[in-house]
Amino acid sequence: MNFFKRAWLNLTAKKGRSILLILVTSAIMLFVLAGLLIRNAADTATSNAKQRVGATLTLSANREAAFKKMRSGSSTSKTSRPKLTTSPVKLSDAKKIAKLSNIASYTATVSTSANAKGFSAISTSGSSSAGGMKGMGGSTTSSGDIAISGVTSTSTTSAFENSSSKITKGRGITIADEGTNNVVIESELAKEDGLKVGDSIKLKATTGTKQTYTLKVVGIYKASASASTQQGPGATDPSNSVYTSYTFANTVKGTKYKNTADSVTFNVSDPAKVSAAKKAGKALINTSRYSLTTDDSSYQTVKASMANVKSFADKIVWLVAIAGTIILALIVILMIRERRYEIGVLLSLGEARWKIVAQFFVEMVMVLVVSIAIAGAGGKFVGNQLGKQLVSQQTTTGTMSTQQGPGGGAPGGNTSDTKPAGNMQGGGAPGSNSSMSSQKQAELAINVTALDLVELGGFGLAIMFLSIMLASGGILRLQPKKVLIE
Amino acid sequence: MLKANDIGYWYDRQENSLFEHVNLEFKSGHSYAIVGQSGSGKTTFLSLLAGLDKPRAGQIELNGEPINQLGLTNYRRSHVAIVFQSYNLLTYMSPLNNLLTAMAVTNSSHRGDKAFAMDMLRKLGITDEQMTKNVQKLSGGQQQRVAIARTMVCDAKIVVADEPTGNLDEENTQYVIEQFQKIAHEQHKCVIIVTHEPDVAAACDQSYRLAKHEFTVEA
Ligand SMILES: Nc1ncnc2c1ncn2[C@@H]1O[C@H](COP(=O)(O)OP(=O)(O)OP(=O)(O)O)[C@@H](O)[C@H]1O
Ligand SMILES: [Mg+2]
Repeated sequence: MNFFKRAWLNLTAKKGRSILLILVTSAIMLFVLAGLLIRNAADTATSNAKQRVGATLTLSANREAAFKKMRSGSSTSKTSRPKLTTSPVKLSDAKKIAKLSNIASYTATVSTSANAKGFSAISTSGSSSAGGMKGMGGSTTSSGDIAISGVTSTSTTSAFENSSSKITKGRGITIADEGTNNVVIESELAKEDGLKVGDSIKLKATTGTKQTYTLKVVGIYKASASASTQQGPGATDPSNSVYTSYTFANTVKGTKYKNTADSVTFNVSDPAKVSAAKKAGKALINTSRYSLTTDDSSYQTVKASMANVKSFADKIVWLVAIAGTIILALIVILMIRERRYEIGVLLSLGEARWKIVAQFFVEMVMVLVVSIAIAGAGGKFVGNQLGKQLVSQQTTTGTMSTQQGPGGGAPGGNTSDTKPAGNMQGGGAPGSNSSMSSQKQAELAINVTALDLVELGGFGLAIMFLSIMLASGGILRLQPKKVLIE
Repeated sequence: MLKANDIGYWYDRQENSLFEHVNLEFKSGHSYAIVGQSGSGKTTFLSLLAGLDKPRAGQIELNGEPINQLGLTNYRRSHVAIVFQSYNLLTYMSPLNNLLTAMAVTNSSHRGDKAFAMDMLRKLGITDEQMTKNVQKLSGGQQQRVAIARTMVCDAKIVVADEPTGNLDEENTQYVIEQFQKIAHEQHKCVIIVTHEPDVAAACDQSYRLAKHEFTVEA
């Protein structure tokens, strides 16, 4: 144990050298810690993303099969435009799936549109000629200026779940609104037209009998500013999106849509059972017409970008660890050369060589303890800076992938089935709302925990041990005679 | 107690051996001087006695047991104390800590006895103030006295010194000579000193001259 005392005496006697050693070691530890922090944060972000987004199944029309059919049908004639026909989801199918053991609840979504009657829709920009009531007579498209999202309940839609929309007055749509003409409107629209909870509005269908419906405002919601990016081509201002019960949306679309939905989202009670639920659900539906998908695109995005961050962080950790070992080994080798005389004296006293190696190791461990404290204080800062850089790099490449949330993008997009190349239905367009979500999910929470410091200590000890081992050849070979007789 | 048994040593080739077939005996309670021309191999011989190197031929025996068998590290730790011209102290410590370290490393019977170490330093003229400051702040003579004090607090029965007075002035030299004689005669140790100085050699009980690869007894 005497070598502990010698180590201490040596470090305290040669303060300048000790401080330099602490600085070099701190710098190395700081980089190792930053790497470890980013790696751990990337791990956490990935598993959080899995928890959050892996837990839903979406039943919708099988668009792939429909496209195939459309192409084969169009090959005969070049002049007539091909028509995409997809089948709306039957609620009876949805109810069957909902009975599966792992399904906690479900939300049906029906999107359509109608024209405002007796009040003005918000006009998006000056260039749009179809503003307000004057747009009624427009013959260009079959879509109206008010986008209707028919839902089973607003609280389970993605916009409300991720808090990009919030009920500010009254209440949201619930299952109890089935069969009613209750509506929830956006606050901008309410302001523009002086509408309050309890007021009535009129909407005129753009298809079929072009019937006019009277709806009762039961709630007002506010869409966050970032939601304004949720615009498909031809969509009106997002403030013109209203929520009704899915039954009302179906009525507007026409009688053949009764008891159907564009898509139905199922919440799976246990995220680990998603694929099992998907398999069981698929057995219950006609898979050539309908598809049952797990919503994990945003998880995949986060996972991919986090995998990149993580592999980079891993590289940092290993590169710094290897470089640090080499640097420290060189320093220790130089130090041992400088201290040949001291080693010779100890050897001539009959000190065991391993105890001299142990003294050097203890000195380095003492340096390491101080360095880890310093690195721990600075690690959060460096890790944050580095993490921010990495994430911003990763999300710019990550925004190309889309998020298909439950009924994602539907409130903004017009999804009437008569649209020529109905390529906007139910799916978020590239860049529609994905950049917002992936940025949100790719945030790295950098925190220095006791466990991180323990892990860092482990790395530090390994680095010190390796460098002492590399350098100790000098001690083990040193002949005390050569040192002392000069 | 210490016997050189037909030992020989050379650095590169046997033809250039420094000495061969050396048979000498060193007894406890006696002091010995080894003299000879520069380059004759005195230091080399002493390093063999000190267990810092092994002879190329023959053996060194401690009370009849070859020191190789004891293990050289073990031999150095338990049986021999070394003093060199360059003081060979641990430079990052105080004189007191140098003594305490040596006592701990050699497993001295006085291990950990601070008062004993301080007493020994005082006996060799190191003041209480000097013994706690860094050893490098002491003069050469003072440092050599610390090195001698170190041999006295350890249990080792053999003390070897290589030109211990080489860097000292006359007054200090005289003092160091006296201390070595005391170690031999009062502590009953075996003291072996390599020296160039006639005064030092004269003070010892016996002198050996190394010349022409052979040791001869000096009158
Ligand atoms: N490590 C070595 N390798 C080769 N030759 C050496 C080595 N050390 C010493 N020698 C040679 O061995 C011879 C004896 O050296 P040594 O140091 O024992 O002499 P010395 O009698 O102590 O001399 P001095 O009185 O000058 O101290 C010298 O000729 C020297 O050059
Ligand atoms: Mg010599």
